[in-house]
Amino acid sequence: MTATQPGSGFRTSTKATSAQKRAPWILLAPFLALFVLTFIIPIISALFQSFTTVDREGLFGEDGVTGRFAGFDNYVTALNDAGFVGSIWRMLLFGIVQVPVMIVLCTILALLLESASARWPGFFRAVYFMPYGVPGVIATILWSFLYVPGLSPIVSLLQSMGLQPDFLGANSVLWSIANIVTWTYTGYNMLIIVAQLKSIPGEVYEAAKMDGANAFQVAWRIQIPLIAPALVLTTVFSIIGTLQLFAEPQILSTVAPAIDTEYTPNYAAYTNAFAFNEYGVASAQAVIIALAAFILSFAFLALTNRPPKDDRDRRARAKRDGLEARRALQGRAPARPVVTTQAAPGLQTAPGLQNGTKGADA
Amino acid sequence: MTPTPSRRVMTRRNLLGLGLGTAAAGLLAGCAVPGSTNVNKAALVPAAAGGETVQLTYWGWLKDLQKVCDVWNAEHPRIQVTANWIPGGNSGGYQKMYSALAAGGGPDIGQVEFRQIPEFMLANGLVDLARYGAKDVQSRYDEAAWSQVEFVDGVYGIPQDTGPMGFYYQTAILEQAGGEPPTTWDEWRDLADKVRGTGNGNYLEVFPVADASPFAAYVQQAGARWFRTDGDSWVVDMTDDKTMMVAEFFDGVIDAKLVDTSAGAYTPGWYAAAASGKIAAVTSASWGDALIQSVQGGEGKWKVAPMQTWGDTGYGSSSIGGSTAAVLANAKHPKEALEFITWMTTSKEGVDAMIRYCGIGWSPAKDYIGKARQQPSEWFSGQDYNEDVFVPSAQEQNLDWSWSPVTQSAFTSLQNQFRRKLTGGLKLTDAVELAQQEIVRSFQDKGLSVRTAR
Repeated sequence: MTATQPGSGFRTSTKATSAQKRAPWILLAPFLALFVLTFIIPIISALFQSFTTVDREGLFGEDGVTGRFAGFDNYVTALNDAGFVGSIWRMLLFGIVQVPVMIVLCTILALLLESASARWPGFFRAVYFMPYGVPGVIATILWSFLYVPGLSPIVSLLQSMGLQPDFLGANSVLWSIANIVTWTYTGYNMLIIVAQLKSIPGEVYEAAKMDGANAFQVAWRIQIPLIAPALVLTTVFSIIGTLQLFAEPQILSTVAPAIDTEYTPNYAAYTNAFAFNEYGVASAQAVIIALAAFILSFAFLALTNRPPKDDRDRRARAKRDGLEARRALQGRAPARPVVTTQAAPGLQTAPGLQNGTKGADA
Repeated sequence: MTPTPSRRVMTRRNLLGLGLGTAAAGLLAGCAVPGSTNVNKAALVPAAAGGETVQLTYWGWLKDLQKVCDVWNAEHPRIQVTANWIPGGNSGGYQKMYSALAAGGGPDIGQVEFRQIPEFMLANGLVDLARYGAKDVQSRYDEAAWSQVEFVDGVYGIPQDTGPMGFYYQTAILEQAGGEPPTTWDEWRDLADKVRGTGNGNYLEVFPVADASPFAAYVQQAGARWFRTDGDSWVVDMTDDKTMMVAEFFDGVIDAKLVDTSAGAYTPGWYAAAASGKIAAVTSASWGDALIQSVQGGEGKWKVAPMQTWGDTGYGSSSIGGSTAAVLANAKHPKEALEFITWMTTSKEGVDAMIRYCGIGWSPAKDYIGKARQQPSEWFSGQDYNEDVFVPSAQEQNLDWSWSPVTQSAFTSLQNQFRRKLTGGLKLTDAVELAQQEIVRSFQDKGLSVRTAR
């Protein structure tokens, strides 16, 4: 880490002094200490535990308890548990529906707030963001009062209209949870997108106006392509968040009999660890959840980070042409250079996206 | 400033490496499998020296527990007890205690339900109090309560409250339905039918599929014995005639839509339904009285009757819940902790304070039910229900019933299978059998030897 010199710097040497070398470490130390203590060490400990199991002698293990290396036994147990595997599929279904709904919703809100005709954008931004300030547990308790028949004004209203809503039934409770999650996080994701929208330079809008673009075209052709990095970011966060769903179903289980203790992957791991004292299996489940989140996030990044379609076509064509040319001109130098380099598309990728996703390609 | 010689950088790296190495070594040492050391094989913790003041902590979910501790603290300056509130049992309290134990810490005393004691033993989480003189105080406790804390010649908790059961009901609704408090479950079914006739959405009781404790209490009353030991092996017997009889009975009741299955007792929805008269009664433990008193506008509307029986088989009553004050494995002062617990659960002052401040369930003290419980209750229509109903109920218990080291997974399995009654129409009789298979597997997963009885 070399210190950057201001243009008018009085020092001529670019070599960092010892103080300059030390400074970043000293500044990072409080963070690093906490990060290692509360993040790295628990992860290593969980990995370690996921490969251990316990043998007991006697009715309660009173004659001896020994821990031993278990190989992949805990992983086999976890993956053979129909409830746990079912919970992962349930979360996939949840994610496939809830994440797009939320991303579309927050994008619409952000575009409305940033449109030229928006009234009191600051006020509405705060209002939309407010649910995020309510802790998840409290939000779930509040919503549960809107779901429970006999307490909920919504249920009473629908009943008076002759409907029989069942927000907590076996088939509907997943979507009741999705509603809570969407309510909580739409405002938060909206804020990320608003920040990205604000970074679009005014000249771009001006140019669009000169070209006669209407409001919808500005949104569709200018704003959405330019906020793509923010959309990718919020989607990845939402995918990870979906797999980690825990507080909402756990709290709601007190009023919804359909929610069992393996309703979500994290709930299953929590139950195994702290209700059944099966730390080995719970750690294996936690590792599996982490791997699943990892794979899904990277799959999504790889998908969104593909070169644009015309570029892909060009490459495929170039490859085909190259092969044909090689076949036709066997043993001779190719007549024309083969195009394989990626053409830089104009507005297609913003700098942030390119930086942020290069690693995913590697 | 002179440029640093590279040697100093190396030193810092070495230091960093050393630090990481130490951290890793400490980490591996701390990675011992939780619960693999048995404190009851270790030497006794000696009593504190004469002049020393002992500080004890007590984790429990009883409300205002500190006020009870304050009564003790005022009289016993040498032993000072601090109460910390934790969430009730499996809604977070046990999880907190288990993780504290796994981390090598935790309080001296913890509130542990009777049914949870074997599971805490399995985690090597409890001190065998027989080694600190608990058997000397055994005679001061109810037999039924004491039988639940004794395992393999040890005493792993001191009974603090129990939950003998009765039938709580709203007098006006039963009158309107033209029924009396039932003496048998068959009468209970007829009554449920009559209450259904009083209006759409009116039920006699709830049957919670998401909480298997009432079901376990009903089969316990019928005389079942799910878990027993045979030498060094556990025997699981959940498909006996008694259990099947109870499961079949509730299959019929649920299929005829005579009970509300949407939520358990004492949930927000239940309170709303009870307050508006849509739920007429609840078969529940003695500690239910305090909870029922939270039903809005319920004062003077409720009464208590003895629990309905299974006719000529089984016992007069049953019990739900009930807890012990157990000394946890990492306690620094087990002897002093036992002294405090004995005072709290058997002395007149202790019992009265526990009732007054904490609203505990039934006191397990042999000859004292508590002053407040020796008089009629205005809330319960002026009935002297404690002496009328619960004194006999506490004597009519299934003494052979015992819990197992997989209580939580047993309840979870039962509940997950019971839920399928609602979601997929699975019969309770089949659900119990499926749950038994899972429970046997839980035993095996814990590394315990187990077989089924049939």
